[in-house]
Amino acid sequence: MGNKSSPKTRPPWLLLAPMYAFTILFVALPILYMFLLSFLTRAEVWGVEFQFTLANYKRILEPLYLDTFLESFRLALISTALVALIGYPYGYFMAKMSPAWKKRMLLLIMIPFWTSALIRLYGWIIVFRSNGVLDSLLMGLHITGEPLKLLYTYPAVVVGMVYALLPFMILAVYSSAEKMDWSLVEAARDLGASSRLAFWTVTFKMTLPGLLSGVVLTFIPSMGLFFIADLLGGNKIVLVGSVIQEQLTKGRNQPFAAALSAVLMVLTVLMIRLYRRITGASKLEGLV
Amino acid sequence: MRKTQWKKWGSLALSLLLLASLAAGCGGDAKPSGELSLYTWDGMFPQEILDGFEEETGIRVRYSNFDYDEDMLAKLEETEGKDYDLVIADDYIIELVIAEGLAQKLDTSKMENYKNLNPVFMSQFYDPNNEYTVPHGAGIPLLVYDPALTDVEITGYEDLWNPALADNIALTANYRVINGIALKVMGESYNTEDLDVLQAAGEKLLELAPNVRVINDSNTQDFIISGEAAVGFLYTSQVYLAMTARPDLKLVLPKEGLGFGIMASFLPSQAPNPDAAYAFLDYINRPENAAKCFEFLGYYCTNKAAESHISEDMKELLVLPEDAAAGEIVQNISQEAEDLHSEIWNQFRDACG
Repeated sequence: MGNKSSPKTRPPWLLLAPMYAFTILFVALPILYMFLLSFLTRAEVWGVEFQFTLANYKRILEPLYLDTFLESFRLALISTALVALIGYPYGYFMAKMSPAWKKRMLLLIMIPFWTSALIRLYGWIIVFRSNGVLDSLLMGLHITGEPLKLLYTYPAVVVGMVYALLPFMILAVYSSAEKMDWSLVEAARDLGASSRLAFWTVTFKMTLPGLLSGVVLTFIPSMGLFFIADLLGGNKIVLVGSVIQEQLTKGRNQPFAAALSAVLMVLTVLMIRLYRRITGASKLEGLV
Repeated sequence: MRKTQWKKWGSLALSLLLLASLAAGCGGDAKPSGELSLYTWDGMFPQEILDGFEEETGIRVRYSNFDYDEDMLAKLEETEGKDYDLVIADDYIIELVIAEGLAQKLDTSKMENYKNLNPVFMSQFYDPNNEYTVPHGAGIPLLVYDPALTDVEITGYEDLWNPALADNIALTANYRVINGIALKVMGESYNTEDLDVLQAAGEKLLELAPNVRVINDSNTQDFIISGEAAVGFLYTSQVYLAMTARPDLKLVLPKEGLGFGIMASFLPSQAPNPDAAYAFLDYINRPENAAKCFEFLGYYCTNKAAESHISEDMKELLVLPEDAAAGEIVQNISQEAEDLHSEIWNQFRDACG
């Protein structure tokens, strides 16, 4: 039935229309709405008034909110560095395994995704809490004498972040190491490079796009993953995400929440541009 | 070929069957108009009460729930008060609902059991003449502590600042209530709009930071029950859970004064089935039913006649002592004051970490 109508009777944009409609409706319009909202004034009782103001952005410049951005940035930086430190070797060695083991390792990474992230975090609470798994273990081994307070500390939050974000880094590094032509490393070794030099000049440079895309995939979500800080940090670390949520609900200040989101979004876009720049450059270096 | 055709017709027949059963489900009810659309938080009523109401009146309860009062208000604005017959929410948001004209005046003559309500919890700021609302439970955040974990004897908010409680306090996360602790210690009102006073309270609160172990709005009682923290500043329902799980814990009605919040029911301005709402309100305020509701809910009983029906061992937790009734309700305040509260709160949280 479908064969009878020739391709010409159906303009190509018609096929693309649903996709455009979807993008406009669910991506472009909400973002536009958010930016618009960030310039409006909060109504006295509830909702917003259509009155242009820059006050929301000015308020972000107050030390308190600048600190919040810095704190989010710091946590994201620490988590990303640790994730890269653990995830890079993991992905690298995984790519060098036999196909059967590759499959097994991949499965090991994917299985936790079958459970909700929130529930897995509650698992960490059980591990960390006083008289919990880790605490009992330490006391059983006579390393510590009395119950420790491990939960609701900064390190607990960092562990949670690293745990949640590690798979993204591993998969990114793995996919670029997997595609790599290992004969180039052999060539380097043949030409007299030590194994260390061969790694830094060939392997590392060729897997850099993977590492950097892993960094982007880790850094950006970690700016927003405030529920980890709330759950494992006992709400004692204030991140941008939790301020946005609070302003939308208890604070009843939608325009300010929108302004915070807008700034966060702009920062994210800048990060992605930075990534494009660096990988673009490294690709040239690697090829020439 | 035949197989695929069979599949096609088979699936078509099946979907028709499904559609038919769906239609039957909609139209087949004994009393099609008898539906109550109830909108409130999850878990506000014991199943026994909902089932009992359906059985007695034949009115089906359609229970929808929200997480935050603000979501409820947004929804009512969106539907212009049309979709729901009865809403139960917090005092401060009801003030806004009434101001926006989204609630309708009650006809109390339609509720035989209206007389059972406790006047202590009525005529409040959000509805001074009791024109729109029926109270349904009052919450008073209280201190609970584990005497096995601390030697400090706690009688009021002031004691929380004791350095002996370092890293040992669990707090809920409602900033008006928590900042209110500092205001109360200073002898001020929860609802002060004096920015200088608020500023001073903020500084006072920062001194509390070293003692805070965790801030968590839900299930805060778990930290006290498990021994993660020695002292907890808990919502009423949490106090109830903590005290039932661990009767050895000590309950403190802070000497600086109590803050309380009232939950109340109202009918949205264009409720489709107001009679169902009245029938439900009447049913849940029958003394024995109200007692069941509050034993389940764990909030202070707002129904005077129900008090004698509450079981003895729960009375201490559900019936407010006569002399304690003079509390202050957290109300809506000016934008500047509200913003400052939120700033103080985030500074405080940051200092705790």
